[in-house]
Amino acid sequence: MSETTMHSPVDVGPLTSPDGGVTLADAYATTKIQVRAGAATAAAAALGVSYGRSRRNADGDLVCGTRPDEWTIYGDPGRSGAISATVPTEGFVTVIDITHGRAMLRISGANATSALSKICNLDLSDELTPNGAVFSGSLGAVGCDWVRDDQGGQTSFLISCERSFGKFLFIAVADACTEFGLSIPAGWELHPH
Amino acid sequence: MTNRLPAQPGEVIDRSTSLSFTWNGKQMTGYEGDTIASAIAANGVDVFGRSMKYHRRRGILTADHWDPNLFLQVGDEPNVRAGSRKLQAGMVVSTQNVWPSLKFDLAASNQLVGRFLSSGFYYKTFMRPQFLWPLYQKILRKFAPGGEIHWETSTHGAYDKRYVHPDVLVAGGGPAGMGAALAAADAGASVLLVEHYTELGGHLRWGDDAQRAKAAELAAACEAHANIEVLVDSTVTGRYDHNWIAVNQRSHATAPERLVKARAGVMVVAAGLIERPYVFAGNDTPGVILAGAARRLINLFSVKPGTKAVVMTANEEGDGAVADLERAGVEIVAVLDARKGESIVAVEGRGRVSKVQVNDGRMLSADTVVTATGWTAPTSLLNMGGDRPVYDPVAARYFSNSLPSNILATGGIAGDGSTAELEAHGRATGELAANRSLRRRHDRVSQTARSGAPTWAKPEEVADSRTPLARNPHPECYRSTTHGMVDFSEDVSSKDLVQASKEGFDSIELMKRYTTVTMGPSQGKLETVNAASVLAEANGVEMADIGTTVWRPPYSPISLGALAGRILEPVRRSALQDWHEAHGSTPLLAGQWVRPDQYGDAMAEAANVRANVGLIDVTPLGKLDLRGADVPKLLELVYVNKWQKLDVGRVRYGAMVAEDGVVSDDGVTGRLGEDHWLMTTTSSGAGAIWEMLEDWLQTAHPEWDVHVTAVTGGLTSINVAGPNSRTLLERLTEGVDLSADAFPYFSVRTGKVAGVSDCIIWRIGFTGELSYEVHVPSGHALHVWETLLETGVDLGCAPFGVEAQRILRLEKGHYIVGQDTDGLSKAPTAGLGGLVKLDKPDTLGLPELKHAYGRDDLPILVGIQTVDGSIVPEEAAQIVDGDQNTILGRITSSRMSPTLGRSICLGQVDPSLSAAGTEITVLMADGRRIKALVQEHHAHFDHEGARQRV
Repeated sequence: MSETTMHSPVDVGPLTSPDGGVTLADAYATTKIQVRAGAATAAAAALGVSYGRSRRNADGDLVCGTRPDEWTIYGDPGRSGAISATVPTEGFVTVIDITHGRAMLRISGANATSALSKICNLDLSDELTPNGAVFSGSLGAVGCDWVRDDQGGQTSFLISCERSFGKFLFIAVADACTEFGLSIPAGWELHPH
Repeated sequence: MTNRLPAQPGEVIDRSTSLSFTWNGKQMTGYEGDTIASAIAANGVDVFGRSMKYHRRRGILTADHWDPNLFLQVGDEPNVRAGSRKLQAGMVVSTQNVWPSLKFDLAASNQLVGRFLSSGFYYKTFMRPQFLWPLYQKILRKFAPGGEIHWETSTHGAYDKRYVHPDVLVAGGGPAGMGAALAAADAGASVLLVEHYTELGGHLRWGDDAQRAKAAELAAACEAHANIEVLVDSTVTGRYDHNWIAVNQRSHATAPERLVKARAGVMVVAAGLIERPYVFAGNDTPGVILAGAARRLINLFSVKPGTKAVVMTANEEGDGAVADLERAGVEIVAVLDARKGESIVAVEGRGRVSKVQVNDGRMLSADTVVTATGWTAPTSLLNMGGDRPVYDPVAARYFSNSLPSNILATGGIAGDGSTAELEAHGRATGELAANRSLRRRHDRVSQTARSGAPTWAKPEEVADSRTPLARNPHPECYRSTTHGMVDFSEDVSSKDLVQASKEGFDSIELMKRYTTVTMGPSQGKLETVNAASVLAEANGVEMADIGTTVWRPPYSPISLGALAGRILEPVRRSALQDWHEAHGSTPLLAGQWVRPDQYGDAMAEAANVRANVGLIDVTPLGKLDLRGADVPKLLELVYVNKWQKLDVGRVRYGAMVAEDGVVSDDGVTGRLGEDHWLMTTTSSGAGAIWEMLEDWLQTAHPEWDVHVTAVTGGLTSINVAGPNSRTLLERLTEGVDLSADAFPYFSVRTGKVAGVSDCIIWRIGFTGELSYEVHVPSGHALHVWETLLETGVDLGCAPFGVEAQRILRLEKGHYIVGQDTDGLSKAPTAGLGGLVKLDKPDTLGLPELKHAYGRDDLPILVGIQTVDGSIVPEEAAQIVDGDQNTILGRITSSRMSPTLGRSICLGQVDPSLSAAGTEITVLMADGRRIKALVQEHHAHFDHEGARQRV
């Protein structure tokens, strides 16, 4: 890849409510590798996670069963080559770096679920959506891929969408967080007056 | 506060906090905890407004959210329900729908002609003459009820929404509802308890000491329970399929109103009972109130409702009201026991009740009439679940008939009982609801991929073994021997209903629509049962034979703001959009995308492309990464042309048609490797084409090895166009030979541009110039864009926007799917003749394509130039038959060409006009008819393509 700096569609943050109940951060730079492979392939076996669930592998990357016969691997920035190399390519397997094409945010904290539930009609309760859950659904009228990826015992979601929607999504989520004390930077209001 | 009583045991007002407000311009004070209505009443006000049609004086009737006489203007907000909205300091409260004042309302003269304003008056009167309707409309609007909105100066914040997924939703926070919530929560269910009033407790709140104590005990338990969320001042307004339940939350810290969308396992309806008025002459005179209203005013707000009262009672609520009134110092002139056949015949009085005529012939002096004559069972939510309640003449109210398993009823709506019996029934209902909802939850968890397996056993199904609540006998008290108001919201009297029946509107549904009874803001809560009774009497049948109207959502009116909530309209931005805006671009909304329309002078931008080199951000182009050995098969299927033999490193234009042969999309697709392709689509078609490809792959050809990945946003697309484009790119490109021989027209290469790897470059020419489309990984797009501009300064490099691109492509004669074609344009219309290969074994739309190419009547897309080149016909201007108005086509695209110095167009014309040189007539929007000539080619400029093939 290039030595130039990656520009995120979200040029703000992270934002945190004064009580720490919710934190919203841009995660665009996260390496995102998409794998398409049949269930009988070596790739599927190596990835070792079923549709709807995720796991951390030995390298610390988050392997997600995004859709049937489709996985997404999230890793630290700049790990595209390293992650891709771990996927066996025997048979009909496609490995694509979708880092640039997916905006991503992380929302964490005790109020994260409540904030998201203002603009998402999915059941995000602990039982239906436990830590490790992987799913797709509309958030703020934007189609998103979700992973519940708790951190330090605190509820946390990694949410990605098509890059061009990234700024709108961040604004919509930030707006939903205002009920829980998050302050919106000037110019980032959903409905500026 | 002349009517304020000394402290009452259960009062909810805080006497230590006075609140100032104005009522029709007069300064008043109330207390924290007052409703607007209770505060005004405490200040001695009897008349709160005027009725809708006859403008009769109206006072407090129910003293709660349902009161049809308490719709007031508060500041810039109309139709505020003063019976439930809490008083706030500084409120400016006024009457609605009066002129010039509440006291002297000119429209009250309607009462003088009331006999002519009966039901059906509109239908009968304003039908003819038809031409006068606009005048009628203007006048009638003056009489439209309701307050005034001031949206220009509104200071309301944004409305809000929220989604919840409780196992059990309990509608109603009385003893049964709270019992149900607690039992369900104790059993492990998550519970959303929704209470219509501002506090839990239901009717216990204005009851005796023991009832208030019980209410407080249950409320505290509910609020403390970890599994229960309590929403007060909120109403369940609708139940939809699969227990999708709408809750209108009226007071919230961060929004004036909030729509809570709940998907509940089981809904428990514990909505209690709503007291209904008694129908008699003068029953809408201020001073006539319901027993519950009197009790609420006295016990909750410490407001004395009058000085001398006649009470008509048929039940315990009326008996309780007598006790409360006596305690409040109200003289009880008479208690008429409806259980013994005693009743009111009529009242007299203008601004307030003064005399009461009793059915034993007595005429009593009183300023207050309190009635307790029975209940409306608010079965609305049950109806929405498919129930058709049945009338029980012994209990004189309706009860549910059959309910689906995910709806249960408890409390007053299910029967009668003591507080303990109601709570016990509620608890049994809650346990049943928990059992059913937890079984459902277990299924959901075990069947949802993301959830994993449940860690608890699915409960055994339990039968509904609840002991039914009793149905206490209650006299059927609906109407006296006189006629009075049935629908206070719509000013519909019992006399109107009888008249409607006589006119043939003798079914409850027809009568409702003809008279508008039950169609006002009360939505039948006070008037449905009385209306059915009057109709039964008029028809000479039993109540049970009349049936009911269908209650539909919303149960309680909800503001449009709450329904809208936050406006979520996603916009798509390329990685360069911030740059465009920072450099003076005019934004253009193209579908969901916001794009740079121009940077100040589109004509100059277009001219610069022809003379030097320009850059345009074309990221919205749909881009699909295709991988696999079977990609050519897929392309052969969806495109009208052939793809099997396209070499690696080459690109090809392709067009698609739908099954009906109509042109659906087009674009360029390149072969990056043996099994790796990049397809582009139109911007608007990107999503649909992606879905269409997946549809074919997953349903028709799962055996094909093809993976499709949408990469529209991942690749920022920059078109470098103009005679200097090659020179510019050569300065920044590594690993790619850009010479004409090595990189010919319609080729693709991958390499490094401005230091950024993995760029895809293809040579195509939408603008008609030597040009390259560079697809850059979006995170580095800004760097590449800025580097191109900086490096090309000496080459005249400048950005150009969408408008300049439209000019350039029109000069070149390139059509745009959806603009120059439409929903009827088949391949021959778009001029795809040479491209379409009818000899392929299969192509989407192939039969229709073959049929279309056998026709000679399809319109043809042609290049058009006006005879007077200074005139630019409007896009969509019609092409007509000379001086006649027969439509023979239309202009689809038109612009002034900076290159040619004249107007240029594309247009669809009848085949008879498609020959080059044909003179056509274009009908302009201003009515002029101008002449134009059909051109030999679509292209107005460089038809041979010499400029792009250098």
